[in-house]
Amino acid sequence: MKKFRRNKLAVAALSVLALMAVVALFAPFFAPYDPGDIGKTALEAPSMLHFFGTDDFGRDVFSRAVYGARISLSVGLVAVSISVLVGFVLGIISGYFGGLTESLIMRFVDIMLSFPSIFLILAVQAILTPNIYNVMVIIGLTSWMGVARLVRAEVLSVKERPYIEAAHVIGASGPRIMFRHILPNVIAPVIVAGTLGMAGAILTESALSFLGLGVQPPLSSWGNMLQDSQAYLRDAPWMALIPGLLILLTVLCIYLVGEGLREEIGR
Amino acid sequence: MYKHVLKRLVSIIPLLIGVSIISFFVMHLAPGDPTALFVDPSVSPHELARIRSNWGLDHPVHVQYFFWLKNVLRGDLGTAYIINRPVTELIAERIPATLLLMATSLFFILLVSIPLGVLSAYKKGRGLDNIISVLSFLGMSIPSFWLALMLMLLFSVKLGFLPSSGMSDPLLADTSLPGKLADIVRHMVLPVLTMVIIGFAGLTRYIRSGTIEVLGQNYIKAARAKGLSERTVLFKHALRNSLLPVITILGMTIPDLFAGAFIIETIFAWPGMGRLGIGAVFSRNYPLIMGIVFISSLLIILGNLAADVLYSVADPRIRTEGKD
Amino acid sequence: MKKTILIVISVFLSACLGCSGSIKTGKNIGTLTFTLGGEVSIINPVLSSDTASSAVEGVIFSGLTKINEDLEIVPDIAKSWTVSADGKTYTFYLRDDVYWHDGEKLTAYDAKFTFDLILDPKVNSVRRGDYIIDGIPIRFEARGPKVLRAMLPKPFAPFLGRVGMGILPKHLLEGKDINTAQFNRAPVGSGPFIFKEWISADRVVVERNPRYFAGAPKIEKIVFKIIPDENARFIALETGQTDVCDIPAKDYKRAKLLKRTNVFEYDSLMYVYLGLNQKREIFSDKKVRQALAYATDKQQLIQLIFNGLASPAYGPMSPVGWTYNDNVEKYDHNVQKAEKLLDEAGWFMGKDGLREKKGKKLEFTILVNQGNKEREKAAVILQWQYKKIGVKANIRVMEWSSLLRILNAKSTEKDFDAVIIGWSLGIDPDSYSIWHSTQYPLGLNFIGYSNRDVDWLLEKGRTTLNRRARKKIYGDIQQIIAEEQPYIFLWYPHSIVAVSDRIGGLSKPGPAGLFVDIEKVYVKENY
Repeated sequence: MKKFRRNKLAVAALSVLALMAVVALFAPFFAPYDPGDIGKTALEAPSMLHFFGTDDFGRDVFSRAVYGARISLSVGLVAVSISVLVGFVLGIISGYFGGLTESLIMRFVDIMLSFPSIFLILAVQAILTPNIYNVMVIIGLTSWMGVARLVRAEVLSVKERPYIEAAHVIGASGPRIMFRHILPNVIAPVIVAGTLGMAGAILTESALSFLGLGVQPPLSSWGNMLQDSQAYLRDAPWMALIPGLLILLTVLCIYLVGEGLREEIGR
Repeated sequence: MYKHVLKRLVSIIPLLIGVSIISFFVMHLAPGDPTALFVDPSVSPHELARIRSNWGLDHPVHVQYFFWLKNVLRGDLGTAYIINRPVTELIAERIPATLLLMATSLFFILLVSIPLGVLSAYKKGRGLDNIISVLSFLGMSIPSFWLALMLMLLFSVKLGFLPSSGMSDPLLADTSLPGKLADIVRHMVLPVLTMVIIGFAGLTRYIRSGTIEVLGQNYIKAARAKGLSERTVLFKHALRNSLLPVITILGMTIPDLFAGAFIIETIFAWPGMGRLGIGAVFSRNYPLIMGIVFISSLLIILGNLAADVLYSVADPRIRTEGKD
Repeated sequence: MKKTILIVISVFLSACLGCSGSIKTGKNIGTLTFTLGGEVSIINPVLSSDTASSAVEGVIFSGLTKINEDLEIVPDIAKSWTVSADGKTYTFYLRDDVYWHDGEKLTAYDAKFTFDLILDPKVNSVRRGDYIIDGIPIRFEARGPKVLRAMLPKPFAPFLGRVGMGILPKHLLEGKDINTAQFNRAPVGSGPFIFKEWISADRVVVERNPRYFAGAPKIEKIVFKIIPDENARFIALETGQTDVCDIPAKDYKRAKLLKRTNVFEYDSLMYVYLGLNQKREIFSDKKVRQALAYATDKQQLIQLIFNGLASPAYGPMSPVGWTYNDNVEKYDHNVQKAEKLLDEAGWFMGKDGLREKKGKKLEFTILVNQGNKEREKAAVILQWQYKKIGVKANIRVMEWSSLLRILNAKSTEKDFDAVIIGWSLGIDPDSYSIWHSTQYPLGLNFIGYSNRDVDWLLEKGRTTLNRRARKKIYGDIQQIIAEEQPYIFLWYPHSIVAVSDRIGGLSKPGPAGLFVDIEKVYVKENY
C-alpha cells in the first residue's frame, strides 16, 4: 500500500471520489432545493441563489447534480459489480475445468466480443422499459468479457504453480483449492479491471442517455442532465458544462485510482 | 502459417452464427413491431395486419430465423421493410462513409499516440510523462457527444471555419474532382477530430506501458552499452518491439471505433452505416438490423483476424500456436 | 510511409485553411435548399408514410386536387368535378396539358391505376383504408383519357380531401411489383420538379420541370438536405448551408436575431393531449377528469416547453379548422375548484399528502413516447402540477413502437392509465375513428370513449355534404367532448419556420406551409 500512498495523484483522485460519494450519500443535506421543484425562472445563469444556475424547467442544477451523483455513481458501481461477478465466475470455471466447458465459455466470450456492443445495448434497452436498474444490468451484462478472459488467463497461470499441485497431492477438494488458493491470486488484477470498467460504465450510461435510453425523468443522472442540456447548449451552457465536467472529473479520478492500483500491484 | 489462417477463417463461421442467433432473438423479443410506425388517424388495424403478413411477421420467430439464414447462405440479406430495398444494397451504399471515417480516424490516432506513448515511456515519472498521461486520461473521460457538440459550436458557429454536418456540399456538385475531395475532407475534419481525441488515449497508454517494458530488457541495455544514440535506441529498437502488442490491441479497438462512429455519425449527419443502424433499431426494421449487425460483426472478426495474422508475421515465435 | 503521412496531413491542412471565413463556396444561384429532420424512406406517395418522404413527393408528384393556402380543396390535375345528387358519384374532368417527366401524357387511366394500386391488398400501402367505406372499396373508372369517375357505396364527406394523393404513371409501373420497384428510388412524376439524384442519408436533388402544367418553376433546383440533429440543423441555417429550416420554439429568439432570415410562426392542424383510459375506475368518474383539467396549468406548460409559442387547447379540433368552435367549457387553471371536485368525488387528502378513497390512493401512470422532448417535459410538469392537489402521477417513458403496442392491444382492458400523445388532423373535420365507440378496442379510440350522442353526430357528420350543417354537427361534438374531458387537452403547437431572405414568392403562412405554390417561389438575384 505504501507505493500507492506515494502516488500523490492517485491519492488526490481517491479523495475527490470519496468526497463525491459522501455528497451523494447525504444528498438531501447538501442540496439546497428539491431536485424536482419546478421554479419560477427557467434557464437562469449561475448566481448566489442557484450556484450552477437553473435548467429548462427552472429546477436548480446544483441540487440535481447532487442527486444525480447518487444515480451515476451507483450505476457505475452496480454495473461493474455485475460484470465483474459474471466475468469472474465464468473465467474461473473455464480456467479451472478446462476442456469442453472452457471452449464453450470462451467461444461465447468471442461471440459477445464480436458484437458492436452498442447495438446489443440499444436493442435490449428497447425491449425492457428503460429505468435505472435495467441500465445497470444491461451495461453489466455487456461488459464482462474482458474480466472473464483476464481471470481465465490468471487461473491458468496460477494452476501451474507448485503449491496448487501440492494441494492436489494432499487431497484438497476442487472447490477448496479454487477458493483458498486460486481466488486470492486472481483478485488483484480484477480490482484494477473493475475500476476501469466503472469509468466505462459511467460513460456508457451517459451515452445511452444521449440516445434517450438512460435513466428516466424526473430522476436525474449526470447523463440525462447532459442530454437535457443538448437543446440549450447555446442559451444555457452551464446546463451542459456542470454534468459534463462532473462526468469528466469522476471518470478521470477513477482512472487515476486504477492506475495507482495497477502500479501498486506491480503489473 | 496458411494452415493457421485457414483454421481461423473456418472458426469465423460458428462465431457469425452465434452472433446472428443472439441478435435475431433479442430483436424479436422486443415489444412493438415495424407496422407500429404507421400510426395515423386514418390507418385501420386491419391494414396493419395485412402489412404484417406481407412482411412474413406472422410466422414463429425460429421459422423466421431459418428463412433468414437460408437467404444469407445465398448471399441475400433480405429486403428492408418500409424502404423496400435489398439490405445488401443499403449497407453497400453506407459502408464506404463509415469506413472512410474509421480509417482516417485510426490513421490519425496512430499518428498521435505512437510518438506520445513512446515519449511518455521514455520520460517515465517526469513532467512530460505526467502531462501526456493526464491528457490521455482526459481523452478517455470525455463523453464523445459532448465533445462533438462543443467542437461544432467552436469551429462552425464561433469561427465559421468548417461545415457542421453532412459529407459534402450539394452546391459543389458540379465542381472538379479535387474540389469535391477537398470538400469531403473539410466535412471530415470535425468528426475525425472528435474520434481522435476520444480514441488516442487508450492506445497511448498501451504503447507507453509496452515501451516501458521493452526499455527494461537486456537487449536495450546492450544497445545503449554499445554507445548507440538515444534516438536510435528509442525509435529503432524499442519502438519496433513495443509496437508488436499494439497490433493486437488495434484489432480490439475496432468495436470501440464502431460504437464511437455510431454516435458521431448521428451528430454530424455523416451518411454512414451507424446512423442507418440506429434508425433501424428504433423502427424495428429487422432485416436491416440483422444485416448491419452481421456485417459489423464480420468486420470486427476480420479485423481481429488480420491483426492476428500480422502479429504472427511480425513475430515468428507464435506462428504455430493458435491463441485464444 | 512518411511521405503518405505528410500528404494526408497537408491535404487536411490546406482544406481547413482554404475555407476560413465563409463556409459556403458553391454557386447557389437558383438553388433552394430545404432541411429534412428525418431520412427519406421511399419516394412514392402510395407507399411512404413519413414526413421527410412526403416533403419530397410534394414537389415531384401532383394529384387530382390540392389544398391551397386557405386550406380549401382546389383543382390540380382535375380542372373541375361534379357530384351526383345522391352524393355517391364523383366525376373528375382532367386537364389536357399534363405530361409525365418522361414526356408521356397523363390520363385518367393513370389515376385509376393509382387508386386501384392503393386498394390492392398486396401493396404495402397504409392509405388503403381511406378508400374503403364501411368495408366496401370505392370503385374508380376511367371514362376515356380525360374523365375519372369514383363510385362510393354511400355519401361520404371526407372523400374529396382524399383524392389529392399523388398520381403514379401507369406506363412505368404496370405489371411490376410496386413494393420493390426501382421506381421508388428514381421516381417519375408530373409535378413542378423532376427527380435528379438521391444520395442516401445525405440529400435528394430535384430540378425544374419546364413543362409543368401550372407554369414552369422559377428556381432551377431544390436540394433537400437531411440533417437529423436539431442543433446541427440550426447551425446549418445560421451558416448559410440551408435556406429553410424548422425552428424549435426555444430557438425562436435566436432565429429572429439572424441577419437576412425571416422567421414565420403559424398554427398547425394538430393538438396534444393527456388521454385518460375511460375503462379505468378512477377516470370513469367525470369529476376526477374535470378536477385534473382544472389542476392543469396550461400557461405554465406552454411557457416552460415552448417559451410561450403555443396556444392552450380546450377541445378536439384545431382553431384553424373551419369547424372550430370556441364556445366550449374551458376549465381554466383553478386549484380550489380541482380540490373541491375531488372532495365531492370522495377522494380525500391523506396524511401523506396524497388523496385516497376507501384505502386506495389517487395514483396513476402517464405513458409518454421517448424521443419526443416536448411530451416528456409535459409529463414532468404535469406530475408536478398534480402533486399539488394530492394526485400522484408516475411517468413511464417508452419507445414509440412499444407504446403503440399497448394502445393498440386487442384486449378490452388496455394496460395503461393515461398517455400523452397528439393528433394531426386532416382538413376534413371527420374524427369518427378517434371518438366513435365502435373504434374500441380495435381502432384509434384507445381510451374507450363512448357517448351515444357523439356516436350519432359522428355518423351524421360523415354522410352530410352541406358545409353549414356539418359545421353545426362538429360544433356540437366539440362542446360535448370538451365538457366531458376524456382527454385533458393541452396545447396546439405552432409551426416556426425560418426562411432565408433571398427566397421570395412564399405563400401566406398557415398550416399548409409556406411553399404551397412552389412554382412561384424564386431566388432573389444579386444576393
